[in-house]
Amino acid sequence: MEISRIAAMASKEWLEITRDRLFFSLAFIVPLMLMLIFRFGFSFDVRNIPLAVVDYDGTACSRDYAYRFISSRYFDFKGYAQGERQLGPLLAGGKVGVAIIIPANFQRDLAAGLPARVQALIDGTFPSRAQTIKGFVLAINGAASLQRMAENVSRTRGVSLSMARRQLQPVRLEVRYLFDQSVSDWSLIPRLIMVVLMVSPPLLTAVGIVREKESGAIYNIYSSTVSRGEFLLGKFSPYIAISFVNAMVLWAVAVGPFGAPFRGGLFFFIACSFVFAACTAGIGLVVSLLASTQVSAIVFCLILTFVPVSVYSGLLMPVASLDAAGRIQAHLIPAMYYTDIVIGIFLKGAGVGVLWGRLAALLVYASALMAAGYFLFRKRRAA
Amino acid sequence: MGKSPVVKGMDPVISVREFTKDYKSVRAVRGVSFDVMPGEIYGLIGPDGAGKSSLLKAAAGVLSYNGGQIRVFGGIVCSERAAERIKPRIGFMPQGLGLNLYPELSVEENIDFFARLMLVSRAALAERKERLLAITRLERFRQRRVRHLSGGMRQKLGLACTLIHEPELLILDEPTTGVDPVSRRDFWAILAELLQGGRTALISTSYMDEASRFYRMSMLYEGRIIAGGEPSDVLKTVPGSIVSLRCDDPERAAGRLKAVFRQAAVFGREVRVFAKGASPDEAAARVSGALSGLDVKDIRCSEPELEDVFIAIMQEKGFLQTEGPAMPPVPRGEQAARRAISSGIAIEARNLVRDFGSFRAVDNVSFQVRQGEIFGLLGANGAGKTTVIKMLTGIMPPTSGMGWVAGADMRRAGREIRENIGYMSQFFSLYNDLTVAENIRLYAGIYGLSARRARSRAEWILQMAGLRGYESSLAGRMPVGMRQRLALGCSLVHSPAILFLDEPTSGVDPVGRRHFWDILFTLANREGVAILVTTHYMLEAGHCGRLALMHAGRIIADAPPRDLRLAVQEKAGPVLELEVEDPFRALELIKGAGLTGAALWGRRIHILSRDPELALSRSRRALLPPGLKILGYSVRPPDTEDVFVYHVLAMEGREKAA
Repeated sequence: MEISRIAAMASKEWLEITRDRLFFSLAFIVPLMLMLIFRFGFSFDVRNIPLAVVDYDGTACSRDYAYRFISSRYFDFKGYAQGERQLGPLLAGGKVGVAIIIPANFQRDLAAGLPARVQALIDGTFPSRAQTIKGFVLAINGAASLQRMAENVSRTRGVSLSMARRQLQPVRLEVRYLFDQSVSDWSLIPRLIMVVLMVSPPLLTAVGIVREKESGAIYNIYSSTVSRGEFLLGKFSPYIAISFVNAMVLWAVAVGPFGAPFRGGLFFFIACSFVFAACTAGIGLVVSLLASTQVSAIVFCLILTFVPVSVYSGLLMPVASLDAAGRIQAHLIPAMYYTDIVIGIFLKGAGVGVLWGRLAALLVYASALMAAGYFLFRKRRAA
Repeated sequence: MGKSPVVKGMDPVISVREFTKDYKSVRAVRGVSFDVMPGEIYGLIGPDGAGKSSLLKAAAGVLSYNGGQIRVFGGIVCSERAAERIKPRIGFMPQGLGLNLYPELSVEENIDFFARLMLVSRAALAERKERLLAITRLERFRQRRVRHLSGGMRQKLGLACTLIHEPELLILDEPTTGVDPVSRRDFWAILAELLQGGRTALISTSYMDEASRFYRMSMLYEGRIIAGGEPSDVLKTVPGSIVSLRCDDPERAAGRLKAVFRQAAVFGREVRVFAKGASPDEAAARVSGALSGLDVKDIRCSEPELEDVFIAIMQEKGFLQTEGPAMPPVPRGEQAARRAISSGIAIEARNLVRDFGSFRAVDNVSFQVRQGEIFGLLGANGAGKTTVIKMLTGIMPPTSGMGWVAGADMRRAGREIRENIGYMSQFFSLYNDLTVAENIRLYAGIYGLSARRARSRAEWILQMAGLRGYESSLAGRMPVGMRQRLALGCSLVHSPAILFLDEPTSGVDPVGRRHFWDILFTLANREGVAILVTTHYMLEAGHCGRLALMHAGRIIADAPPRDLRLAVQEKAGPVLELEVEDPFRALELIKGAGLTGAALWGRRIHILSRDPELALSRSRRALLPPGLKILGYSVRPPDTEDVFVYHVLAMEGREKAA
């Protein structure tokens, strides 16, 4: 091992990255951009759902019922529609996400003690969103029915309205969300750090190495006495460093402007992020040794990172809810472990005691990739 | 040559025995053997795909091989471990002009990086860097980033970086491809200087005319050595004389000559015959005899060049069965050129300028191409040739200046122009996953040919390009020469009157190139097609009816090649070639005697002089005191490269004076 040779390669790499405008932005601007784009493009929050109402009854009672939906902060009232015919194109065009149809005789039926029927049309193209909307509609309808019943009871039994309500609902459920009290986007932000660190370092590393293969500059290494280990350390360390710096920048953005809570230890987070950066840059390294053109390297990287990130990382759905095959896949990629780690540190204040297993998995992963890089890199090649 | 430059009894630096290399199922090199002795410049000459790069890489220890053996410095290179042992003593420069350099780093940073990679001590680096920068004349540019260097400067920097650890053996893969002739000469001079002190070099090239730069060489074709030895000996393997003549009906003359001599080719109005085994007088007499009754002028005899010998050997070894594709006549009503352009001027460029930011790629270029003329644009990579073509074909707007193609203004009549022209780029623009027939059909569809016409044109193209029987072969799987002719055919599918060819013959072997030129001459002579062709092959440029030399965006001379040569010969004189003992010392002595234009060519010395007799006697006198003998000499007219270099130097001289 010649330290001077490793330093020569690392500093050359650093000069190239900082001087090439395209490469510089790929290294430092793109990760930040990704974070911003995902932050504002991605939302688990279902709010302001466009709402239309068809009121065939047109009585005080039906307006009162409709007003419960219109005034809800979850819905964005777009207006009354004249009939169901009008709703079709509005729902199909996405202008309305939910429609409430109140039939004629709504008030009369209620007054007569007959069951009144109301229809809710929900855009079901996004199942989870549709489920959430259905939940809102059911809750509002339930509240309206309860109110109606309480009024009846209070009138007929001569008790106060609040008394009637208590009697009608003997068991009351109190829900408290832990770690993220408002069930807002807090839990998304640490996950985004994972997404960006999973996508950007492999791309940067793979392109950085493969472009030398494409230009022929890699022959300077092949034909020199640089050893495999020296090459890997010298060429690869700037990319780990850059990815690590990015992790810190993303952390600052998360806890600063994005207002995410950070309840765990910073030092533990730094250590985990460094290992994860080595993991994902390592994916880029292995790709770069297998691909011979920049285009194929980019395609490889995107397939290897985007798909796992969106499905098997715990970004959109918990790994526990995947089927058995999916869970196995999830355990084979490093994203899942890091998701657990960031969620644990940011929101749950967890530390080494709880998360050491995940960190160990990442360490194993990083070492395996380095080893693969070492054995795949050949200075005397067959083609 | 009198004395072998190679000292007998010494161990070779590189010894290659029965070397074989496969890429998957393709055998790229088939049992090649040769030795490179200490202190010599050994050349590997051949077209793309001949196996040169495989051999060089294997010798440099960066490529494994399938059979045979390579010994470097006595050790067998057969594993990564064995290869590591020889690497400190080798300098390897891969193919591609300065592509192994780091474009974002400055000249000096590049040299420093290579030095640190090879563990050169600080003190040694400081001293060597100054010396190398001085020899390559890059001192003034040490802070400049490589991306802003010209091709010639990159090439010299590449050489400096390769030499920074003072390797005993230099392995250079096509170091001169695409470099302008001035830089090319410079390169060889610098290399000669740097190799002093017993260094050995193994160098590949695809330029046949560079053979004389080598002490010894091997000529490669499709993975085999087809000839080897000292360049002069290789020339002697097929003895004979070249007879060239001018004739009003060159095709008829060539037809008769081919029956007698087999190797006869038409270059415009000129016919060139290789009379094997004949002395010059005999050859001239036999040629005159064969052509009795035809109007023949200017019969000249010369020694065969390496390209002639290459073709002769290929014929002998049976690599060439056919005499090349035969050009079928074009059915009536389809002859594009007969829709004659009234003025007779097919292409005109007037004061064309194109800037890219602050860089002027094309600088005030003007020329005319007549109907039926082959007009050559000769220049290095980056001289501005492709930009000129892009402007004339309406693909790129000029910064200023005008251009007309087939009488239509290039700035307005884009569509009209495209219907009248055929365009073939250096990348052939074929669809590699389509078959030959499908490619032709596709182009016929693009130009909106009727089904009937498309069929008749396809027939014509297959015949013209000699591709009959290959209709259902995939374009990507065919050899370069065939792909090139298919691309030409596709660009001719709509019978255009004007043809733009952008470096159409890069990397094609001499035989393929000659076939290609046969087609071009027929198109021009018989169909009256105007052809604008760009090239960086000096030999090929000589075939054009008219030649414009392009350098740094400007046209520095424009005339028929013969006139260009004669003009330079008149102004600067012919070339005196000296064969001497100890050429390095001899060159210094000759330069010291005031003949500053003297340059080293392999082991010979070239002097451009108006009075070769005087130059010869002055050289003799200069070599007398140390007792160096002149073993032989000859005087020959300047060739296209001499012409190019003369004009560039003259231009630079004028600019310095101004």
